Amino acid sequence: MDIGVMLKTLQDPMGVPFYPVVFQALLVLTFALHILFVNFAIGTSFLSVYGHLKRDERWKRLSGSLARATTVNVSMAMLLGVAPLLFVQVLYDPFWYASNNLSAAWVMGFIGIMMLAYSLAYAFYLGKKSGKGTGIAAYGIVSFALFLLAGVIMHALGYQLLQPDKWLSWYAKGNSVDTSGTSLHAFQLPRFLHFLVPSFSMTGIFLMLYAWYFKNREDMEKGYLDWVGKTGAEMAFLFTAVQSIIGFWWLLALPGEFRFFANPFLLAGAVLGVALLFFLYAARKDPAKFAVPVGVAAFLAILGMACAREALRMKYAGRFAYSIFDYKVNLDLGSTALFFSTFAMGLVIVSYLLAVAFQSGRVAGPYVAGPLLQKWGRASIVLLLLWIVVVAGLGIFVTVKNFL
Amino acid sequence: MYPVWEVPGLTAGIVLALMATFHMLPSHLSTSAMWFNLYVETKAYRENRPELLEFIRKYSLMILVFSYVLGSLSGIGIWYAATVANPRGISGLIHNYVWGWATEWIFFLIEVIGIFTYYYTLGKVDRKTHLKIGWIFAIGSWTTMIIIVGILAFMVSPGKWPATGNFFDGFFNQTYWPHLLMRTSLMFVVAATYAIAVATKLTDDSARSFITRKAAQWGIGGLILGSGFTFLFVKSVPSAASGLIGMSAFLLPGLKTVMLASLALLLLYFVFANIKPLALRMVPAILAIVVLFGGIWSIERTRELIRKPYVIPQYMYSNQIIGKDIPSKNVSAETKTINEKGILKVAAFVPEGLRDVREGNVLESGRMTALILCSSCHTFNENGLRPMPQMIRRLEFKPHAEAATEIGEIAGFIDTLGDYPYMPPFAGTDAEKNALATYLHSISRIR
Repeated sequence: MDIGVMLKTLQDPMGVPFYPVVFQALLVLTFALHILFVNFAIGTSFLSVYGHLKRDERWKRLSGSLARATTVNVSMAMLLGVAPLLFVQVLYDPFWYASNNLSAAWVMGFIGIMMLAYSLAYAFYLGKKSGKGTGIAAYGIVSFALFLLAGVIMHALGYQLLQPDKWLSWYAKGNSVDTSGTSLHAFQLPRFLHFLVPSFSMTGIFLMLYAWYFKNREDMEKGYLDWVGKTGAEMAFLFTAVQSIIGFWWLLALPGEFRFFANPFLLAGAVLGVALLFFLYAARKDPAKFAVPVGVAAFLAILGMACAREALRMKYAGRFAYSIFDYKVNLDLGSTALFFSTFAMGLVIVSYLLAVAFQSGRVAGPYVAGPLLQKWGRASIVLLLLWIVVVAGLGIFVTVKNFL
Repeated sequence: MYPVWEVPGLTAGIVLALMATFHMLPSHLSTSAMWFNLYVETKAYRENRPELLEFIRKYSLMILVFSYVLGSLSGIGIWYAATVANPRGISGLIHNYVWGWATEWIFFLIEVIGIFTYYYTLGKVDRKTHLKIGWIFAIGSWTTMIIIVGILAFMVSPGKWPATGNFFDGFFNQTYWPHLLMRTSLMFVVAATYAIAVATKLTDDSARSFITRKAAQWGIGGLILGSGFTFLFVKSVPSAASGLIGMSAFLLPGLKTVMLASLALLLLYFVFANIKPLALRMVPAILAIVVLFGGIWSIERTRELIRKPYVIPQYMYSNQIIGKDIPSKNVSAETKTINEKGILKVAAFVPEGLRDVREGNVLESGRMTALILCSSCHTFNENGLRPMPQMIRRLEFKPHAEAATEIGEIAGFIDTLGDYPYMPPFAGTDAEKNALATYLHSISRIR
């Protein structure tokens, strides 16, 4: 069967309920946010163990904070991973399902591995909190190793996805098929490293933000925070430099026919990455001062690379005449409106929660919310109740219309 | 059709069922626990009972770890398991309900950020603000249930969706409200069971007694209301599917027994906890969670069984073949094309040597046909889930001198599959049907 015909045959006949470009924009944006926290999670997981094993008191102290940060970062990475997982199934369903089913045992293994890794990350954090000794490092080490393994699985599934011309040869040998799902079929080192190395750059920036965030807290020593900021800035600079080299390596490994080095999204992402490198070089003098603009620049670089990654996926799919823009659209305006209105409401509520967390963490003792935050909190509850009233009203209307 | 994943002794479908059932515990705990927390926290502040805050801290940590480590991952695991068990089924659902899931994700954001903020700011922010965070989490978390029940209800009964293709016509079908009320009631049973387990670790006896008693009362209320709404839910299921609820006892005889036994045991447990709150220890509390899991397993399995022969009712059969037209979406049934051209011809992942059934590849073609059409629900081993060899033998074909006669009888049975209310009809050419019969004959050893 011709590959292009096969992909068309596999594509869901239901079509999509809104224009593909909107799903694509959401896919890229949410993936950028997801990978940002994946980077934070892997980096903080590593550094928390590294710090725990060092004899230096400052490292030990930082290790405690990072062990706690790891639990939050992993949770955020998972949370933000749900959205691109959903949108990739909407736009690239033939690719996603074929790749996953070819390695089904690994797909389910990924969930088990993540459960174990995350539980161990908690065991490490809670163990440190309760003052347990060096022995609990084993939890952190195994947890980090399992997170890496999970990354390898995701990388392989993502890379298999791009090679539909090889799927059948991976599945069938002669007239027999391999239904065990126990093989991972594709791995590309520079692509994998291009995802992994930024974990250490981003965690460096995470440390700079840590130094900035706590600088006004009277229970935090200036010397300690300066050291954290400097360590972070050095680390971010070093690994961003390494990342730019790996970027070239990956570029060389891509199929020549793509001429991807001339792709505007890649060029934009690369320019942002190099700009970040220079910015980090300058920021090493006063990391806390530059932490926020560096953080913004780093996210822009990640967003640029997420756009480039999507452009690359379109190139791979285009080899077989597959374009997401050809997807049949069966407009469903009601559910589209439901999502976007909820999205707007969610921003208000999530911002309130983050504002409380942010403000309360910046003071050493108890925190009393000001009148603005009090009103914002009340408004968030009212918005949620309003949402329920509107949706329940709609539900009652539909039920009466259709069944009474 | 995508590549098939065979799980030795099980099916990929049962992996999905296990994942989904496990997810019920942390997800229903998440939607319900904060209501109980809010009750206890408000009580602690109003009556100046700081000893109750120890429970809030422990229970919140449990929600954080259990619901947002194992719960979040098993939630994602359901998607992954559905991907490898029934990719076209989950794809069909997603292409209809993507905005529903995306909307649920917004509330998931509120939940996760909410529980972290709630846990880490306890005793750190002023009481009013902390309670507000709790309210936001509680309402936001329950809202995820409002959404996901719409999709689950659609999977049981699509309402007017087959005619209109409209999101809300499928979402708010006739089973929606009783389904939502059933889960809303039963979620408090989950919250109560876990609260009692956490209470066994409290150091203050008065707090322990108070929490255990209150949780037990919430549990009893949840069980009574939940049973009533379950009855209403069963009544609301369209007649074709509700006939299968009775049949589910035939398919898996233990389900009804486990459901009723767990109901009775949990009721007794809560009554005992209410009378002797300090007598409960961790081990019986964990056993109660196991009993709860058994009850949920039987309810969820029954819900799954009544979907048969469809994975998306009135649209896609459980073996992923589109059986009905949906004109509003411009989708045509595939069965006609498959019956004309052959399943091995139209399915994507078939070795080229098996696209045509011919002498020399009959057994292999038959196995390939079985993998595509039957492996969603059946294993081909001697033992395992709905094992084909046993099921064929159960039909009691009489041994014949000629194997061909026996194969012919199996092929004749395959022709009647569509007459069974829980089985999809055979889809394929006569040659493929005979190849399938030959393969089934070879593994079932009728003699």
